[in-house]
Amino acid sequence: VKIWLLGMNHRTAPLEVRERYAASDPGPLLAKLVEGGDLDEAVLVSTCNRIELLATTPQPEAGRLRLRHFFEHELARDGGADADLDEVLYELADREAVGHVLRVASSLDSMVVGEPQILGQMKDAYRQALSGGTCGPVLSRLFQHAFATAKRVRSETRIAERSVSVARVAVELARQIFEDFEDKRALLVGAGDMIEAALQALQRQGLRSVRVANRTASRAQALAEHFGATPHGLDELEALLHSADVVLSCVGGEGPLIHEPQVREALRTRRSRPLFLIDLGVPRNVDPAVNELDAAFLYDIDDLQDVAAANAAQRRNESLRADDIVREEEQRFDGWLVALQAVPTIRHLRARAEAVRQGELGRALGRLGLEPAQREGVERLTRAIVNKLLHAPLARLRADKDREEGLAMLEAARALFGLDDAEPAAGESDEDPDGPAEPE
Amino acid sequence: MVELHQIAAAIYLAAGVGALLGIVLPAPRMSRGAVWGLALGAAVHGVAFATLHRAEPTPALTDLPAAVSLMAWMGNLSLLALMWWLRITGLAAIAGPVSFIAVFFAALRLPHSSGAMVGSGSWPHAHVLLASAGLALLGLAGMAGLLFLIEYRRLKAKRPMSRRMRLPSLEALDRVNVASLAVGFPLLTIGVITGMMWLHQTTGSLWTGSAHETWSAVAWGIYAGLAAARFAGNQGSRQAAASALAGAAFLVFAVVGVGLIT
Repeated sequence: VKIWLLGMNHRTAPLEVRERYAASDPGPLLAKLVEGGDLDEAVLVSTCNRIELLATTPQPEAGRLRLRHFFEHELARDGGADADLDEVLYELADREAVGHVLRVASSLDSMVVGEPQILGQMKDAYRQALSGGTCGPVLSRLFQHAFATAKRVRSETRIAERSVSVARVAVELARQIFEDFEDKRALLVGAGDMIEAALQALQRQGLRSVRVANRTASRAQALAEHFGATPHGLDELEALLHSADVVLSCVGGEGPLIHEPQVREALRTRRSRPLFLIDLGVPRNVDPAVNELDAAFLYDIDDLQDVAAANAAQRRNESLRADDIVREEEQRFDGWLVALQAVPTIRHLRARAEAVRQGELGRALGRLGLEPAQREGVERLTRAIVNKLLHAPLARLRADKDREEGLAMLEAARALFGLDDAEPAAGESDEDPDGPAEPE
Repeated sequence: MVELHQIAAAIYLAAGVGALLGIVLPAPRMSRGAVWGLALGAAVHGVAFATLHRAEPTPALTDLPAAVSLMAWMGNLSLLALMWWLRITGLAAIAGPVSFIAVFFAALRLPHSSGAMVGSGSWPHAHVLLASAGLALLGLAGMAGLLFLIEYRRLKAKRPMSRRMRLPSLEALDRVNVASLAVGFPLLTIGVITGMMWLHQTTGSLWTGSAHETWSAVAWGIYAGLAAARFAGNQGSRQAAASALAGAAFLVFAVVGVGLIT
């Protein structure tokens, strides 16, 4: 069994290339891929950052060509391949392919290392291939192993522990201040992508009450409708601060909009309940002196980016530890794969030995004219001799070993026992090349 | 009975170490296991007290080691209830080692306890149980205050903790502080009153001027001030945390320190 992986990802191909090969419904495509018989099993992982085809084949070169043809002519959205496809495609085989799948599932190959979505996307790809009947024992085992490896990486390293996006960092900080968000009020001052992302993340945590303050009433109205909030003008800012728990601010202009005395007064009327201010404006919207107030926690864009960068650096460090785990699991799977490849050889060897035994036994019994009980005894004796002779070589073939050693041993076994010379069983010659099996 | 105290102390220590490792490594499973360890320690500790009660119908709970041990037990029960209520595990990292020290100390001294309580009726028991429960809860408020100040400093310094290492939120720790003070101070107050009644029963006077009475009265006065500042004034969470920590430190001195000195 040969495993091939052919694909492109965010590092090798720009979005305009990736989007041409992305498949929203891989089921029919996979069924078509395995139709010809060159491939036994196939799984297609198609996400916004990668399109990867994984397949097993009994005929390495034919399988590889089939995959390549499929990628170039059947997966491409308009049926025609890019001229420079060679530059963006990578092709991996066997152990390298296995290692890659484990790295992808463990989120070590993601744009944001440690992000959790890729594991779900791989599970989806696996389920689709299973339901389409294109995922057999080898790829099933590989995907299950990849999921277990990803779980191990997550539990044994801190790879996914810290947020690396500014919006997620803001929410993580809010969770260190507040226990729950259902009774909290957010105040949006201005608008922006990061504010929107942070607000949505807070709403996922249970935040319900949102107020929007903006310079222009129409803009405030539009934002309020967008977020399910109530609109206000900037002139109401001071009053709104009194009831807000989280303030998200991103307004253009000159100088701060929120000053220390305003926040001090707000904290006084709130009986010093904590106030978390996230200032994403450049120039800053909130006077930095606000952070000196006891119950006010002010983070500006640089603070959040510093935390995110520190978290990203920690993830990179953790990815080195995760790499060790992946290599260990890769070797473990490869051992299983080599053992799997030994199965036909073991069957072949057994069949060859049985054929020789049967042939020699038939000739000997015909000449000796034994009683039924004696024939049974001889039958048992020959079977025991064959089993004992085969025990050591079969045990060595089954034992865990690395790929090189395993494949060398398989090759040696096939050469020593002449397994590639003739078909087993029915094809065995009656003639013993070494002369008669037993003396007359 | 002493052996059971020693076993409980060992379990508390293991739970405390487990909780600390759970935060530092970080290992959430270990943190959850530490909470179960603390619960197991409290169960064994409870059995130790039941055994003590069976052996001596009027157990020597007014003896300092036994009283400290009782406080640790009640503190752990209160803590477990709070952790269940607020779904937080971080407090076990402080409660485990503190309980270990308290119970280990008690186990060393218990064989030398005086035996029966002085006096009769329900005043001695009411005093010991209520005052111990109050002191345990106020100790818990101090622990929550310590964690609050650690997390507060990190957030103000823009060095937030990672998700898995995170302590309970400031809001949760403040709730622990408020709840512990709201229940602990009235229990301490009733404990002080029942103590005076017990004193009156045995000496005919409500006040004899002993060191225990004096320092207890000072501690009660301090907590009366803290409770007033917290519930009637405009004290912020950080000041409340610092006050709770300082109050708990004073309690340790007033109860254990004075008990050892005298």
